Amino acid sequence: MQDIYQATKEALILLLGGDPGIWEIVGISFSVSLQAILYITPLSLLLAFLLAFGNFRGRRILISTFHTFLAIPAVVVGLTVYIFLSRNGPLGDLGLLFSQTAMVIGQMILAFPIVVAMSHSALQSSDRAIWETAKTLGASSPKAMFTVMYEARFGLFAAVIAAFSRIIAEVGCSMMVGGNILHHTRNIPTAIALETSKGEFAQGIALGLVLLFLALALNLLLSSARYRLEMA
Amino acid sequence: MQGSVRFDNVEKVYGDRVLLSIDTFTVNPGQCILISGDNGSGKTTLLKIMSGLLKPEKATVTKNDVSLPWVKAKSMLQSEMVYLHQTPYMFDTSVFNNVAYGLRATKVPKAQVEEKVWQCLRWARLDHLTPRNAKLLSGGERQRVALTRARIVNPSFLILDEPTANMDRGSRHQTYELIQRLQSEGMSIVISSHDVEFFANIIDFHYFLEAGNLRKIDIGTKQRKHKSSAVVTPFQRKGR
Ligand SMILES: Nc1ncnc2c1ncn2[C@@H]1O[C@H](COP(=O)(O)OP(=O)(O)OP(=O)(O)O)[C@@H](O)[C@H]1O
Ligand SMILES: [Mg+2]
Repeated sequence: MQDIYQATKEALILLLGGDPGIWEIVGISFSVSLQAILYITPLSLLLAFLLAFGNFRGRRILISTFHTFLAIPAVVVGLTVYIFLSRNGPLGDLGLLFSQTAMVIGQMILAFPIVVAMSHSALQSSDRAIWETAKTLGASSPKAMFTVMYEARFGLFAAVIAAFSRIIAEVGCSMMVGGNILHHTRNIPTAIALETSKGEFAQGIALGLVLLFLALALNLLLSSARYRLEMA
Repeated sequence: MQGSVRFDNVEKVYGDRVLLSIDTFTVNPGQCILISGDNGSGKTTLLKIMSGLLKPEKATVTKNDVSLPWVKAKSMLQSEMVYLHQTPYMFDTSVFNNVAYGLRATKVPKAQVEEKVWQCLRWARLDHLTPRNAKLLSGGERQRVALTRARIVNPSFLILDEPTANMDRGSRHQTYELIQRLQSEGMSIVISSHDVEFFANIIDFHYFLEAGNLRKIDIGTKQRKHKSSAVVTPFQRKGR
């Protein structure tokens, strides 16, 4: 008990004292995960829209594929990206293994099906009258699409937040393709894993608190979005 | 672009049920047509096909003596007709932005949008609602905002799907009055409604949708006058 108390106290000192090592790791986590979300969101939303409103062959199969990929284990994504980026892999010449770029790629693959599947659900359940009203008032199809997305914005926002929550806390893939290199690819989850295995709890607890706090903040955002959704 | 639009051999199938199988139907400029029919007879479906929002299994659409394949008919219908839903969808923004939607979508200059929106809102006597969120309006107010939102894009035909269903007397009257003014301004209107008597005074033709086909109903002038005095007059007294 005494140890945990001591470690927590040290953790708070690290956090509040602005320990540069800790905040660097936090910075890497945010930079990688925000990039991943930023890159996949436009394409995911477009695809989700086509799946919800389009009428083409293979639509149903694509939808269930994305729902299946929701549960894909991070280590499997890590393994796949690793194989592609490793020196002898098809993309080995790029020399991207153990870089932040590799981590971004891994997290993009993890986030993509989440945003697509959840946005698809949000758009699928949105009122068809939105599209029809936009079209009948003379909107072009892209304009009508943006109108539908705007009306469903809280659901789409929830999809993006959910994907971000998953990838910022994800350890398996980042560990494998990033390599947990200090000052470079060490992010919050990989740092926690490492510190804990070394028996150094203070930094682990400090970073864990950051993640917990983030989870709390994102959940608040989500529930306010959901609240707006129900009010509409 | 004013001109009649004719629909021939319109067929709509859901599963193994042939919902619509209409021989011929023409909408003419300046006329007001009423389509009545039982619940589930396909009025909404027909109106959406006419507005180019729903693809029929078969249809020959003719405008200015030219028959158009569905792809072309669809875009012609979408630009000539404005369809109003049974329960209009209000975009989650102000009444002003809702009314401005069609103008902005077609890239009308900003200053002109502003002016036209105000003008239309005043015309419909809705200017007091301008800053309100349209989603929070009552059913009757929504219907009148929807009518204004449609009028502003100046369509050749206005397609109204049960514009007065589920409304109290006051709202029904205000909506009726707007439709009547639109009609007197020369707007061509197609209305679907159960309430034949309610619209008796403004309609030129009445069709009954039954077993998937349209049957023309005679509206004798005698009957029309009788109905108007029996229904519309006491109603107007109450509304004011
Ligand atoms: N997408 C669809 N798939 C299958 N059946 C449908 C679909 N849309 C409508 N229908 C069916 O077609 C029939 C006609 O529907 P429609 O809404 O056109 O009737 P309506 O005359 O407008 O009825 P109401 O008076 O209740 O508004 C109904 O039985 C309905 O269940
Ligand atoms: Mg209907």
